[in-house]
Amino acid sequence: MKKTLLISLLLIMTVALTLSAQGVQEKKSEGPIKFSLYYSDNATLPFKQDWLTVTEVQKRVNADVEFEVIPIADYQTKVSLALNTGTNAPDVILYQSTKGENAALALNGALVPISDYKEWTPHFNARVKEFGIEEDVAQLNLKDGKRYFLPALFDVPFYDGGLILREDLLKKYNLKAPKTYDELYDVLKVFKKNNPSSYPLTILAGPRVLYRMTMPAWGISLGKNGASGTNTLSWDYEAKRYFPGAISEEYKSYISFFHKLYAEGLLDPEMAEPIDGDKWSQKLATGKSLATYAYYDQIGGVTATSNIPGFKLEMYPALAGPAGAHHQPKSKTGSGIVFPYKTSKRADFEQLVKTVDEMFFSTENSTIWCLGVEGITYNMKGGKVEFVPEILNSSEGIYKSLQVKYGCGSDVTQMVWVNAREMTKYDANYARINKEVEAMGNVIQAIPPNAKFDDRQAEDAGSLQTPLSDAFERWNSAFLTGSKDIDRDWNAYVSEMKNLGIEKFAALYNDNL
Amino acid sequence: MRQYKTRSNFLFNLFVNLVMLTSLLLCLIPFVYMIALSLSSPKAIINNEVFLWPKGFTLESYLQIFNYPNFFHAYGNTILYTFVGTGISLAMMILFAYPLSKTRLKGQKALMKLVIFSMFFTGGLIPNYLLVSSLGLINTRWAMLLPFAINQFNLILLINFFRTIPEDMEEAAIIDGLDYFGILLKIILPLSGAALATVGLYTAVFFWNDWFNGLIYLKSSQFPVMLFLRNIVTGTSMVGDAAGAGDKTTIAISIKSAVIITSTLPIIVLYPFLQRYFVKGIMIGAVKG
Amino acid sequence: MRKKRKDVNTITTKKYFARYWQLYLMLLLPLLYFLVFKYAPMIGNVLAFRRYRPGMGAWGTEWVGLTYFRRFFGDPAFWRAFRNTLILSLINLVINFPIPIIFAILVNEIRHLAFKRVVQTVSYMPRFISTVVVIAILGELLSPSSGIINILRERLFGLEAIYFMNDSKYFRMIYVLVDTWQYTGWTAIIYLAAITGIPSDLYEAATIDGANKAQQIMFVTIPSIMPTIMVMLILNVGRLLSLGFEKVLLMYTPDNSMVSDIIDTLVYRTGLANQNYSYATAIGLFSGLIGIVLVAGSNSLSKRLTGDGIY
Repeated sequence: MKKTLLISLLLIMTVALTLSAQGVQEKKSEGPIKFSLYYSDNATLPFKQDWLTVTEVQKRVNADVEFEVIPIADYQTKVSLALNTGTNAPDVILYQSTKGENAALALNGALVPISDYKEWTPHFNARVKEFGIEEDVAQLNLKDGKRYFLPALFDVPFYDGGLILREDLLKKYNLKAPKTYDELYDVLKVFKKNNPSSYPLTILAGPRVLYRMTMPAWGISLGKNGASGTNTLSWDYEAKRYFPGAISEEYKSYISFFHKLYAEGLLDPEMAEPIDGDKWSQKLATGKSLATYAYYDQIGGVTATSNIPGFKLEMYPALAGPAGAHHQPKSKTGSGIVFPYKTSKRADFEQLVKTVDEMFFSTENSTIWCLGVEGITYNMKGGKVEFVPEILNSSEGIYKSLQVKYGCGSDVTQMVWVNAREMTKYDANYARINKEVEAMGNVIQAIPPNAKFDDRQAEDAGSLQTPLSDAFERWNSAFLTGSKDIDRDWNAYVSEMKNLGIEKFAALYNDNL
Repeated sequence: MRQYKTRSNFLFNLFVNLVMLTSLLLCLIPFVYMIALSLSSPKAIINNEVFLWPKGFTLESYLQIFNYPNFFHAYGNTILYTFVGTGISLAMMILFAYPLSKTRLKGQKALMKLVIFSMFFTGGLIPNYLLVSSLGLINTRWAMLLPFAINQFNLILLINFFRTIPEDMEEAAIIDGLDYFGILLKIILPLSGAALATVGLYTAVFFWNDWFNGLIYLKSSQFPVMLFLRNIVTGTSMVGDAAGAGDKTTIAISIKSAVIITSTLPIIVLYPFLQRYFVKGIMIGAVKG
Repeated sequence: MRKKRKDVNTITTKKYFARYWQLYLMLLLPLLYFLVFKYAPMIGNVLAFRRYRPGMGAWGTEWVGLTYFRRFFGDPAFWRAFRNTLILSLINLVINFPIPIIFAILVNEIRHLAFKRVVQTVSYMPRFISTVVVIAILGELLSPSSGIINILRERLFGLEAIYFMNDSKYFRMIYVLVDTWQYTGWTAIIYLAAITGIPSDLYEAATIDGANKAQQIMFVTIPSIMPTIMVMLILNVGRLLSLGFEKVLLMYTPDNSMVSDIIDTLVYRTGLANQNYSYATAIGLFSGLIGIVLVAGSNSLSKRLTGDGIY
């Protein structure tokens, strides 16, 4: 025993010495500009230091970037700690916006107001102009009229998910693809009649995906992923004001429709917990469910695993509801780049900002982040992108293969998204659906503007939001399953929401637009 | 030794063995199920064909995990933290637990209260971070080892174990000319095999599983493997809720299972090795000898 | 008279330290550790009484007195969460405190050594399956459409499917049973170690007196590990307000929220809407206070009843 103890003590000391010998060394040289950066790493797309995109872009802008690769599940914790304490923050943080806590951090001086340095971000400015989204970008300003991050930019929002149905069954039962929710109801009815043990419509990852994709057709957007982030308010696109969507007639009509589906066995009763990707695939692949709201990317995987002969899933354009055909609202700006305040103290801050701007927003480099390097991953033939055979013929598809092997199309590093260019990475079918949706007009509405709160108002809003959201989720679930009757209990619900201050909450938002 | 002398003892043994067999199966089946999942093809899993035996045998899930950048490097980090962390922790706890096990020692009660108080009042994330930062430990491996050198729960367990050692043995040792360091090394520790094995195991498991402190204090090259693995297993189920982007990408259950198997097997086999310290009679032998 | 007593005291103090200085030397380093790593950060608790504003210093910007305490004391959702926490914890304690003890005693009674070791190791394994996966597997077993439990209920008894994971009636039971499964073998290790320390001549004496197995357990094993049981009980009572947060969060649905919303999940949801460190610190301080009171209370009760305690 004593011997073991001695040995382990020795071991500890040796390790201790080796550890302390590893001091951080910082070399000073005239070479490339050096800076550190937080990168949010998704386990489905693990970051590689030697990705073609990563090395090539650094070479072109002459930068030496120290990537701190942080798992996505814990990314916000790490970022929040770095920004709250200010110490040990990196020079640049990717995949951030100024919602929630970051707004308070920005207003209290923890972030660089990057809109004050317009002349250092020429590439960003040029892209914004090119896309004609100046207004969208201006909406990101906080209460003090300044913008604190360089957002990712989109020219036309994607229709990347929506109603997905068994096309083979539509044919088999001689049905037309639904264009309205009433037609969807009829289709599901037929599906159920022919497959009595199935629950035709299922959900992915909890009801929130279904809600956020379908509610806008009723003119509302509520719940965990509601477009406004308020959970219980919705945006009136005509009056340009928030209204208490959770207690509106629109919502009443919406939940009545889905309660009908639920009551008639057309909707998967397993609505409450998250249904993970595997269980979801299982339900579809084995024919337990025949329709779903999910993403186009996911169709391939299910189709490949199903043993049902003739199995074919297809995605359809947004259906029309009482408020027209609308899909989940989307912004033309996305998460982007913030600079912690500390970075502005660097002697070479100007050069740093310029380098970052060029690295992510220049035409040349943003093309690399999207398509890779010409001559290696793709060639231009007659003005059209043609991927090299290795990518074109890969079993996982162009998009995924470009992601995993070369680091293209990661929403952490790609800041410039051109819809037409993205479509070159998908099959023709996907491009066709997107075209169709675009032609339908205003299917994908803009995200409503954020209220411009200071941190005190944000605290007030926060303390109203949680209880309202809790009550809404509870009632919503009860209405859906029928444990509360929509007609009989509606007034009790409305008065509970009013007692919890939903009108005050809406006013707080409207007063600070 | 003692044989089944009576009918009631026979029934008792039957009962014990039946209960144990049931719990054995209850604990084992999920593990076997996960091993089977980790070795099966996604197609077989989605079509609900896998139960306790792999179908469409493939090592793909494991290969995919091993191909994560820095997987083995991070694994090495975890092993290092576990060994060194447990070593430091045991040394510190033994040094504290032995004096505190003496109820007659002046100040012992106050110190015990100090320990217990600190179980219920902690500073919170930011103060802890600032402390570690001001000690200059951020981005050093010490940040993983030092802040958690003593776990109060394990310490109290150890104190409690030390208290059960008869005091007259110490009296005899003092007469033999041993000082307290000598007593601790030559008498107390050899008699505390099971206790040290238990506390050591609990500590090792803590360091093995700890990802949070790695996340906040270290840089990514020093991250323990658990941080990556946790991200694979819980990634989307935690993020998806707030972000929405996570709903798009999911990770197959076969990979999740493979992750659990790879990340837990080494620490699970530690226990059988420690079981030799759980032998009855060590103590009584020592007293007599 | 007075002077004499003082002399005696100084002499004994001197003698005392001459005898025990090594013990004090031993605890010096760990004590320092406690002061630095456990006590220094406690300054952070001032945030319960000060307003924290992100990016404006770690110790808050101004004194707000009991504002944050008043906020949660006046919040019915907090009291519901508080009650839910206590009820779930108490049920968990009543069921899952004795089980590992019984399990350890039974493991110890296995005569076949190899079997005993296998049981010991295997029973400790569930501790290592991530909670996320445990809940996912459970969701599959209990699924109203495809779960084996519901299929059996239907086939064997013709009963209607129950959505267990979403029904507030079953939430507590499921939580407690999952805990039993996850932690019985793990916790039993402590009791097994304690049983190891029981001198075997006590059993021999009992056998000679004609005690059967059950009597040996009642009169030798349990009294011998009583100090360990009491220490564990006191520690567990002190932790009544802390539950498996991740597990509850994963099992939380709007439908079972009336019983499944515990203090930690409430703080978590409040934090999602608005990162409020001061509010969370105030609740943490309150929970800590209750924990201390519970430990002190159960410790003194235990000392009065059994003579054993932590301090």
